[in-house]
Amino acid sequence: MIRKLLLGACIVMPATIFAQGFQVNLQGQKQIGMAGAGVGTAMDGATLFFNPGAMAMLKDNEINLGVSPLMFKSAFLQDGSTTVENNKNEIAPPFEAYAVWGPKSGKYKIGIGAYTPFGGLVNWGDQWSGRYALISLDLKAIYIQPTVSVKLTDNISLGAGFVYNHGEVELKKAVPISQSNGQDSKATLKGTGEGYGWNAGVYFKTLSGITIGVTHRSKVVTKLKGGDAIFEFPASIPAATLPTKFDSELPLPATTGIGFGFYPSPKTTLALDVNWIHWSVYKNLSFDYDNNTRVADTKSPRNYSDGANIKLGVNQQQTEKLALRAGVGYAFTPVKDGYVTPEAPDANRFIASAGLGYNVSKKFVVDLSFLYEAVHERKQTNLETGLSGTFKTHVYIPGIGLSYKF
Amino acid sequence: MKKFNLYKLLLAALILSFSACKTDIEVPTASNGSADFSHYIALGNSLTAGYADNGLYLEGQQNSYPSIIAKQMKSVGGGEFKQPLFNEAESNGSGYLKFAGFNADGTPNLVPVTDKTAVRGTFNAPGFGSVTLYKKYSGDINNFGVPGIKLQQITYAQYGNLNGYFERLLPGEAGTNSTTYLDFATAKPFTFFTNWLGNNDALGYATSGGVGDALTPKDQFAGLYNALIAKLTANGAKGAVATIPDVSAIPFLNTVTVAALLAGAKKVNPAAQAIYIQTATGPRAATDEDLITLTFNSTGLFGKPNAAQIPYGLHPLNPIESKYVLDKTEIATVRDYVNSYNATIKSIANAKSLAVFDAYTFLNTLNVKHTDNGQSYTGVFIDGVNISSAFITGNAFSLDGVHLTPKGYAIVANEFIKAINAKYGSTIPLAPIADYRAVKFP
Repeated sequence: MIRKLLLGACIVMPATIFAQGFQVNLQGQKQIGMAGAGVGTAMDGATLFFNPGAMAMLKDNEINLGVSPLMFKSAFLQDGSTTVENNKNEIAPPFEAYAVWGPKSGKYKIGIGAYTPFGGLVNWGDQWSGRYALISLDLKAIYIQPTVSVKLTDNISLGAGFVYNHGEVELKKAVPISQSNGQDSKATLKGTGEGYGWNAGVYFKTLSGITIGVTHRSKVVTKLKGGDAIFEFPASIPAATLPTKFDSELPLPATTGIGFGFYPSPKTTLALDVNWIHWSVYKNLSFDYDNNTRVADTKSPRNYSDGANIKLGVNQQQTEKLALRAGVGYAFTPVKDGYVTPEAPDANRFIASAGLGYNVSKKFVVDLSFLYEAVHERKQTNLETGLSGTFKTHVYIPGIGLSYKF
Repeated sequence: MKKFNLYKLLLAALILSFSACKTDIEVPTASNGSADFSHYIALGNSLTAGYADNGLYLEGQQNSYPSIIAKQMKSVGGGEFKQPLFNEAESNGSGYLKFAGFNADGTPNLVPVTDKTAVRGTFNAPGFGSVTLYKKYSGDINNFGVPGIKLQQITYAQYGNLNGYFERLLPGEAGTNSTTYLDFATAKPFTFFTNWLGNNDALGYATSGGVGDALTPKDQFAGLYNALIAKLTANGAKGAVATIPDVSAIPFLNTVTVAALLAGAKKVNPAAQAIYIQTATGPRAATDEDLITLTFNSTGLFGKPNAAQIPYGLHPLNPIESKYVLDKTEIATVRDYVNSYNATIKSIANAKSLAVFDAYTFLNTLNVKHTDNGQSYTGVFIDGVNISSAFITGNAFSLDGVHLTPKGYAIVANEFIKAINAKYGSTIPLAPIADYRAVKFP
């Protein structure tokens, strides 16, 4: 019965959206409830991600932990077909963890955060019509960011952090070499990589009470060396002629953002963010193999343009214990026509969110969030693979976070 | 702590319920347009029968392009589609070639499959020779593909005594048959047809190096094609026809190249200058414009010295025999005939408002070289698969270099379907080509 009711709920949900490309905008449960706006406000430890400059303005020392099980529900209708194909039900687990500390009423705060700003989990299975383009992709980027923030005056603070990225990727594709049983061959690329970057921001409290944040998170070129290349090919193709290792790199783009916080009443916070994502660094997805006897290196054009998003959220302190949140947003895809792939069946998207926070005690807060994204239907013929059809995606992301203040 | 349990429960319920939500896309409404697909018949030769790997066998039949079209037609009013399938016990039919891996020199090792065949004997046709006979098929037939048949032979009353694949479908024993192919195929009522006859009128000439067979005269081709279409449309049936592929674009004539032979010869004797071929006007040095047959490689003749110690193919006095070479002049001749046949096919089809699958143009795209983003490839990409006219690795052609793989036949079926949908406003869904195999690797 519960299932039936909730199913109904997901049908009447307004058509909305948000994340673009591989970006996962899930970095703080309070901010998720506000459609992901958080550059111009100092709400909690997640400020370390949204705007390190605002961290010194936090009242408390905090530890924040959260997880957002993400359900990416995509559908594909091949051109000329009448069979809609769906990706498998798999749940990606973006998480965030922040710890911020500084002397009470001091001038500075230090902190460390671990979060997952980019990633993707999509599995179409090995029997769908586009399996030679992709069976599945599981991509995770985990950023670890030690950060320092300093109050210059009571109204201006700065902050910066160093970013270390640990990336993991597993990509599976069918290969159209028929085995003796008529089944496809398969290729799996699996590896870990690392990259470095930085995150800096500045935060102002203006005289009119409006807060403003400006941030830049640098690009992080994640280099992957010596990943495992596993080719499940027929026995007649000698294993010695196939690669076993590969190198690749994925440039995770820089983001420049500006955010505003408005405080129409002591109980109400409005947050507005505008972000520019420098996706145009993503030109190619290349794989260099250690053995090119039979498998040539590949260089798949991606040619992304830049992406952008705008988000508006509200936080209403309803009672002393309960805060209610909501938000809307819109994101512009960086993926140009002809470059849409099953690994990121992207289009512009609309975002809607809701959330609540509950102060269990003075020190302990529970936040719940729910984010829904509707990726617009997009009919495409991929220039590289010739895969032609319509993609449509809905993303459902419930989340829970726990905060401890000290 | 009770509250937390409640939250956890709520969250679990949320996750469960949203994983049940499925994103959907509206599909086009099924329509047969202005055509009636309830009784579909297919006329044609080996390509229509599902011939592959140098033989007709059960798996090939089951993946014939007409059977794929018929399967896709089901959602728009298509009816039963019966094929003259071999029995499971005789599933290897005529026997065929199997890919048994690579030889030490990197060439493919093709071995004949000779068990579980459906051969029932031979018939010595007077004035013609020996005809291999196959186990009879007596059920209903929608797929009238007969390997080997030419358009030239569709009204020839004796043909049922000369082609074992046709004889197999007829009730009478070889020697007693007098039903023409055209009468046999059109005997029962039908509402829709596909027709891909005419390939062998040019192919036989091309694959025998221009000496083993004659091209069907152009005016005879036009006359017979007219008669064929007149009969197929006499009762108001609609249909689709296909043009004849450029026979010089198939792997059978593009795999063994003059350059490759010369490179091989130079490895043995660095002084080798040229490959010599026999032509109608005498022997001469071969160029890249002369095509060598795929079967030449397995003859083992190349480089073999004759009684006078002259190596085969490397000297004007011991040239590659004409039957292994479609030389430049012969290519021009066959192209001229194919162009004429295709002009005939298109003009008659247009006059009768039939759908046309231009196989000539389509199969030629599989032989075009491209360079994109610094990477070169031949042919086209369909659903992430590179489809080209390359032997074995091109995914479209089977081990005989002339006929198609199941994947190749699925692609042909889809091209027919696109032409039919465009002509008649129907919405036959395309076949998922990923579900059909290419050449099997051991």
